[in-house]
Amino acid sequence: MGDKTELITSSEFQQELRKRGGLSVSRCFQCATCSSVCQLAPAEAPFPRRQMLWAQWGLTERLMTDPGVWLCHQCNDCNTRCPRDAKPGDVMQTIRSLAIERLAVPGFMGRLVGRAATTWPLLIGIPFLFWIVALYAVNGLEPPASPLVYDHFVPHWLIYIVYFTTTGLVSLATLASGLRFWNMLGKGAQRSGSFISSLIGVLIEIAVHKRFAKCETNASRRLGHFMLLWGFVGAALASGLIIVALYIMHEEMPLAFLHPFKIVGNIAAVLLVAGGVAVLLNRLQPDQRAGAPTAYDNFFLSVVLLVIASGVLTELGRYFLDPLIACWIYIIHLSAVLSLFATFPYSKFAHMLYRTLAMVHERMTTSQNK
Amino acid sequence: MDKIGIFLCSGCEIDSAIKLDGLQAVANENGISTTINPCLCSPEGVAAIRKAVDDGQINGVLIGACSPRAKSDEFRFDPTKVAVERVSLREHVAWSHEPGNENTQALAEDLLRMGIAKIQKMNLAKPAQEAIEDTVLVVGGGLAGLCAAEAASGLGKPVVLVEAKEELGGYLAGVTSLVPEIPPYEKPASNHLSELIAKVTESSKVRVLTSCKIKQISGQPGQFDVEVESAQGAQKFKAGAIVQATGARPYDAHKLPHLGYGKFADVITSHQLEQMLKQGKLLRPSNKQAPKRVLFVQCAGSRDPDHLPYCSSECCATSLKQVSAIHKSNADVECLVVYRDLRAPGQLERFYLGVQEEPGSLFVRGVVDKVENGGGQLKVTVGDSMLGKDSVLTADLVVLAVGMVPNSADGEALRKIADAKVRVEKNESEVQVAEAKKQIEELKRHEGTEILNLVYRQGPDLPALRYDFPDSHYICFPYETRRTGIYSAGAVHAPMDAAQAADDGWGAAMKAVQCIEANKRSEALHPRAGDVSVADFFLQRCTQCKRCTEECPFGSLNEDVKGTPQYNQLRCRRCGICLGACPERIISFPEFSVDAVSSMVKAISVPEDYEEKPRIIAFMCENDAYPALDEAAAKRIQWNPWVRIIPVRCLGAVNIIWVADSLSRGIDGLILLGCKSGDDYQCHYMRGSELAQTRFGNIQETLNRLALEPERIRIVELARNEFERAPQILDEFSQTLQDLGANPLKGF
Repeated sequence: MGDKTELITSSEFQQELRKRGGLSVSRCFQCATCSSVCQLAPAEAPFPRRQMLWAQWGLTERLMTDPGVWLCHQCNDCNTRCPRDAKPGDVMQTIRSLAIERLAVPGFMGRLVGRAATTWPLLIGIPFLFWIVALYAVNGLEPPASPLVYDHFVPHWLIYIVYFTTTGLVSLATLASGLRFWNMLGKGAQRSGSFISSLIGVLIEIAVHKRFAKCETNASRRLGHFMLLWGFVGAALASGLIIVALYIMHEEMPLAFLHPFKIVGNIAAVLLVAGGVAVLLNRLQPDQRAGAPTAYDNFFLSVVLLVIASGVLTELGRYFLDPLIACWIYIIHLSAVLSLFATFPYSKFAHMLYRTLAMVHERMTTSQNK
Repeated sequence: MDKIGIFLCSGCEIDSAIKLDGLQAVANENGISTTINPCLCSPEGVAAIRKAVDDGQINGVLIGACSPRAKSDEFRFDPTKVAVERVSLREHVAWSHEPGNENTQALAEDLLRMGIAKIQKMNLAKPAQEAIEDTVLVVGGGLAGLCAAEAASGLGKPVVLVEAKEELGGYLAGVTSLVPEIPPYEKPASNHLSELIAKVTESSKVRVLTSCKIKQISGQPGQFDVEVESAQGAQKFKAGAIVQATGARPYDAHKLPHLGYGKFADVITSHQLEQMLKQGKLLRPSNKQAPKRVLFVQCAGSRDPDHLPYCSSECCATSLKQVSAIHKSNADVECLVVYRDLRAPGQLERFYLGVQEEPGSLFVRGVVDKVENGGGQLKVTVGDSMLGKDSVLTADLVVLAVGMVPNSADGEALRKIADAKVRVEKNESEVQVAEAKKQIEELKRHEGTEILNLVYRQGPDLPALRYDFPDSHYICFPYETRRTGIYSAGAVHAPMDAAQAADDGWGAAMKAVQCIEANKRSEALHPRAGDVSVADFFLQRCTQCKRCTEECPFGSLNEDVKGTPQYNQLRCRRCGICLGACPERIISFPEFSVDAVSSMVKAISVPEDYEEKPRIIAFMCENDAYPALDEAAAKRIQWNPWVRIIPVRCLGAVNIIWVADSLSRGIDGLILLGCKSGDDYQCHYMRGSELAQTRFGNIQETLNRLALEPERIRIVELARNEFERAPQILDEFSQTLQDLGANPLKGF
């Protein structure tokens, strides 16, 4: 066929894209205003104009192997300037959600989370039921006497079993999806330099939210996202420190309010609450600067907010709430965290994986970022 | 006129710019009395003029005040009782030249002299009262024709609606639904043709003739004699005006072999698809199975210099409608629309947005290069798609959205064939016969296409203009054709959709009624609407050169066997192009004649002493150039005082003799300002400025032979809105003449 390619257009992909919030893609008439105004698009492979074209044609293969899809941070500068209201930012977000689904290991998990619009009760309900059943088996769901010590209600060993198992499984799935994506990206691209040093560069970029700083339309999201990121880092650190306190320093639980580890945890909590509120308010802006909400996005955001809210209430509940209520809030918290962990490679959370890899790939394929 | 009264206005800054007693002196030289009024357009000023006319003291009114374009109601008098000439002292003198300057004064005096000279040569209009027929003949019973019949009968005119086919309805008879016509423009409109047919056929004012062929139409607007043969028998009747609504036909897709039409059964045209949709059976012709993927090829043969160079404007919207119809019956059919630029004119953008979002519709930009067999399916190669390289798509059914070709006949080509046949018959010389035969061969495709069968010297049908559409002046005068009283409507007028065709039918019908009504008042149609004078041919001196009969843009003149022009005054638009053409100068209008303008030229006082006092005559078209200059004056833009402006009806009405008159008088240069010629002409008489270009192209050679610089004559095309340019053109020309020096004929 010479220089002709047979186009494998997927109307199934198109339908899915349209259904999930990318309906506006049909409006694009390829003027490339979006690519011109995008501050993040690399000069040699600008987005999102071409991704819009591929999406229109239903060229799944190209979209799945394209780093541009992930380099987009949904600043939505394109959305506000699109002369035909094709909302490229929203379309890119929807493409990402479809990519996450298609890269998911195992596939059924990807489809389950991908269809969060209908499956969200399962995704939240199953962890909750799990904890109810587990706790009933362990202690008959009997709330401990005041003063409330959570360990007496949910023993640490149970938490370790559940979360270490989940984390382990999820890590394997993440690794598999990550490798699959990394190999797809690498096809036909010339990479150079070391993965590790590129990764370090990317992580520094992420740590200071360098790319978010270039956004105009959705600039207000930067602070919220920044606080959330560091809040989660702090929370993870605090969790690690608790183990240190428990098994190395043999400290008495719960830790005193002014214990350094506790302070780390509380700073993280403050960051998470502030970040969560900021992100939520940004989402609720009537101008939809953060993009039109989709069920998929909403699921992830809701779980994150639920984790934060229930976490903070759990801590406060120890002091101010009836132990029965506090315990039920604790169960909700544990369920929300489990839901968040278990859906990591399948929900919007997975952008952490794919965007980081795409940024590393970008560093290794272009000279200007080195 | 012999009894002239001059009325000067001193208002609107005229008084402060020039000395009116100087003008009075000029009038006295000619033995004419003057009246000066400080506000001539006031009721008192106008009453004074009327009184002089009514008392029979004067039969010629010369008004020296504002431009003839201003205060036209105030200074309107019965042209059968009094001739009126207006000298633009306000725009051409006071507002555009230095007040109190001697050159300004000289300009004003010259203009008055010219006015006096002209009005002396003017005559009273003698409108001819003719019997005018009320009937409107509508040719073509499609949507536009039906709407024209509905509108004309609604306005109280009897209508004869003739249709070549057995049934009324035309193209829309085979169409299921129409593109959206009413807000919010989101859903296809229902086809309301049958109600319209019922309404028209039931109307007592409308006579419908089907299976009808027009044998002959002779005469002129208001008095057409029509002979037809139809299912209702042979008939003869009179008609006052004609609407041609003969529609269009689809472009022949067989001419598009690369798209596989005729080669693969599953490649069909949008019209065939429409039939399938109408029957409710969307099946692949090859195997009678329902297609899973339908691919629409937009611009199939359109906007292509080798096929139809133009956009038919409705194929995109029709495809949108068809996609929507397919999805309505089966939402699972994938519809791919490959377009170059999807054109959804007007509010149809809203329809487009909706259809785009239907599940299963995919609109992609690209050009279909090839359709090939792909083993049970069709392989469609799409280039220029922005995907980088040519791509191949598969489809079960390919729909070619073909454009429309007007059902028109080229009257001028048909006449050439007829003329060539006469030459063959006469057999005067072998060369001539061979040439004539060659011409017949070249124009063969036109043979048998006759529609109206007009008995016109310039051919039996409307001249087919660009892309074979007979529309003659789409910018200013919609529905007009180059034959007065014959209007085109619907798809034969221009490519259009149903809603536009309906509007077009109504519009053309109103023009037809307007034509009949104006004829009853013996008035010309625009641009000289209301003009009751007619041309006078002094045939004793005619040399049968046929230039007038050839050049009349409206086919007003027939010829007798010897070639003598036969004037049809009801076809005439009073442009004066024949007057400009006639070498014998035998054609004149009561108030505009070769003699009158020659006298104006001769009335200009040309200083013997050239020293910085050149004299320039500007012949300005009264339609665009003259108003543009008026506007410049209103904005107080100044130009040089050497120019003497003579308004003409059209640049085509400028007779070459005026050049000789001017140059021999010692005028240093002539400039002609008129409308744009060429493909996108703005000439109100279509051919006038083009003819002037040709005629003056020829005269410049003559000037060379006379040792006169050809630069002394210039033709400039000017649009109505270029008022800032108009004075610049005059100043530049004056500079050119000063560089050339004095006219060597000066003082002879």
